[in-house]
Amino acid sequence: MTLDQDMVRHLSEVSVSVELQTPEMTLNIGPQHPSTHGVLRLVARIDGERAFDVRPVIGYMHRGYEKLAEVRNYPQITTIVNRIDWVAGYANEIPFITAAEKLMELEVPPRALWIRLILTEMARMASHLIFMASYPLELGAQTPLFFALRERERVLDLLEGVTGGRFHPNFNRIGGVKPAYGSGSKTRKLIQDLPKTFYEETRVAMDEVLHVCDQLEDLVAGNEIILARTKGIGVLPPEVAVAYGVTGPNLRASGIPFDLRKVEDYLPYDQVEFNVITGENGDCWDRWWVRLQEIRESARIVQQAIDSIPSGPIQAKVPKVIKVPKGETYVRAENPKGEMGYYLVSDGGQGPYRLKIRSASFSNISILPWILEGALVPDIIAIMGSLDFVLGDVDR
Amino acid sequence: MTSSQPEAEAPEQETVEAPHPLTDFAESVAEVVGGEAVITFDTVKVAVPADRWVQALTAARDELGLVLFSFLSAIDWSNETAVGDPLEDPLDEEYIELICTVSDVSEGKRVTFSTRLDHDNPEIESLIDVYAGANWHEREAHEMFGIRFIGHPDLSHLYLPEGFLGNPLRKTFPLLSREVKPWPGKVDVEGMPEEEGEGEADEAAEGAEQAENEEEEA
Repeated sequence: MTLDQDMVRHLSEVSVSVELQTPEMTLNIGPQHPSTHGVLRLVARIDGERAFDVRPVIGYMHRGYEKLAEVRNYPQITTIVNRIDWVAGYANEIPFITAAEKLMELEVPPRALWIRLILTEMARMASHLIFMASYPLELGAQTPLFFALRERERVLDLLEGVTGGRFHPNFNRIGGVKPAYGSGSKTRKLIQDLPKTFYEETRVAMDEVLHVCDQLEDLVAGNEIILARTKGIGVLPPEVAVAYGVTGPNLRASGIPFDLRKVEDYLPYDQVEFNVITGENGDCWDRWWVRLQEIRESARIVQQAIDSIPSGPIQAKVPKVIKVPKGETYVRAENPKGEMGYYLVSDGGQGPYRLKIRSASFSNISILPWILEGALVPDIIAIMGSLDFVLGDVDR
Repeated sequence: MTSSQPEAEAPEQETVEAPHPLTDFAESVAEVVGGEAVITFDTVKVAVPADRWVQALTAARDELGLVLFSFLSAIDWSNETAVGDPLEDPLDEEYIELICTVSDVSEGKRVTFSTRLDHDNPEIESLIDVYAGANWHEREAHEMFGIRFIGHPDLSHLYLPEGFLGNPLRKTFPLLSREVKPWPGKVDVEGMPEEEGEGEADEAAEGAEQAENEEEEA
């Protein structure tokens, strides 16, 4: 028997409005709730099973990075931007470093840009695989978690092999990426940039990631309960999405093929082939599906990149004490969660005069009051999970 | 990637006359919204008077197709600083600069609008009716800079606890942890000895060097 969604909806409404006395009540969800991915609190006013006024309360994770950036110098700031969206810490470094390089008018060696591209895509896979693990779990399906996290670990191992860190790589330097040196050498000889086995291990890992995508699709896409919980739920029309600044997979799921990797010139994405995945209905299901396809596209990008990465230096010549000339610029990049950008204002000093951090999840969850209006209480969890936010990225 | 763009000689805020690929676009934006455009490092920045703020962004949305609300924030241009380095050249007049970036969703065109607000009592019309996403961004700018957005339905604190006094992103707001103890990281970088005769690798980043210095000491 298939679940007729209209019927289920109709029955829930009947029982709420006719049979039960349902006085209005306020339900607090979080700040410590597994579905909030950190510390987000929702104050939901509900009538029976339906929420009619949902107010997100954020700020529990606010660390004041914009203020801290004003008292730190440029190399130190990469360590704090790592901690914004911590499931894809590597990707946060890219727009910041690019902004500083833009003001310094530095030419970054191509090999460094390709290494950045490979690692950014790995960060994207790791982030989306977390979503593949956690989202079905929130809907009650445990098994996909084991498949997704296993491959995420494989990807993180590769990232760790190159950068030394799973979550907070701090790997980018102004003008390139961090070089590896021989240990104890007084002459500090550059020994290698990528680990010797990197290419081989990456090839294997990408095959495995593509394989797990098939498995996840089999597991989740054929599951009637998940389909019933996600199809037609939390529909986000494109015109609402753009007005709220919703970006990334959430925007593409609403049918807008907008991907900053295609339009902004910050990494050599024009030299690899990949598709911009879009959904049709902008519902929870499409947001899941778009992310699954994006893992596949990222794996394809990495496969192409390790074949075409040029050799050469990985660091441009920069002064030891980095001073960024006077000027301002906005650089944005397609992060796993959406548009991540930095508005960098420099006064010619060792640190920024002002660094505005535009994080994707902040704008993405500002849609919550709109999208949760009239949602069933269990759907609140399904819709919130499908937006895939991280509280570090919301609160900064 | 910067060098691939024909960036002209003047590093700060080039005028629209510079042969930049975005020149035509910047001019057309300035014409439609009635402002002054500059291209600063591949970012089109259009300054509009504060009383035409909402009008300009409405035109940007409706006539230029810049429908995606990216962010809204502010910059405190102040001579007095409690933390961080003060401005190299003191300003004649302190002000708050409100910035708002909007973008299209096809070619990736984006414009940063900016306007000047009074330093002591900044207020401006809210953008909520133009871009719904401005709601949270304006609440953030309100608590961080003390900007009052006229017509905003709820300017309660977003990040800060209720009853928090002061506007943390104002340059005069002290960073308390820094007041108690100077940031040790600054010492690491500034006091680094210039090692002679080390060759090329010297230019590399601090991280590796620091690690190795520690190693040598050990």
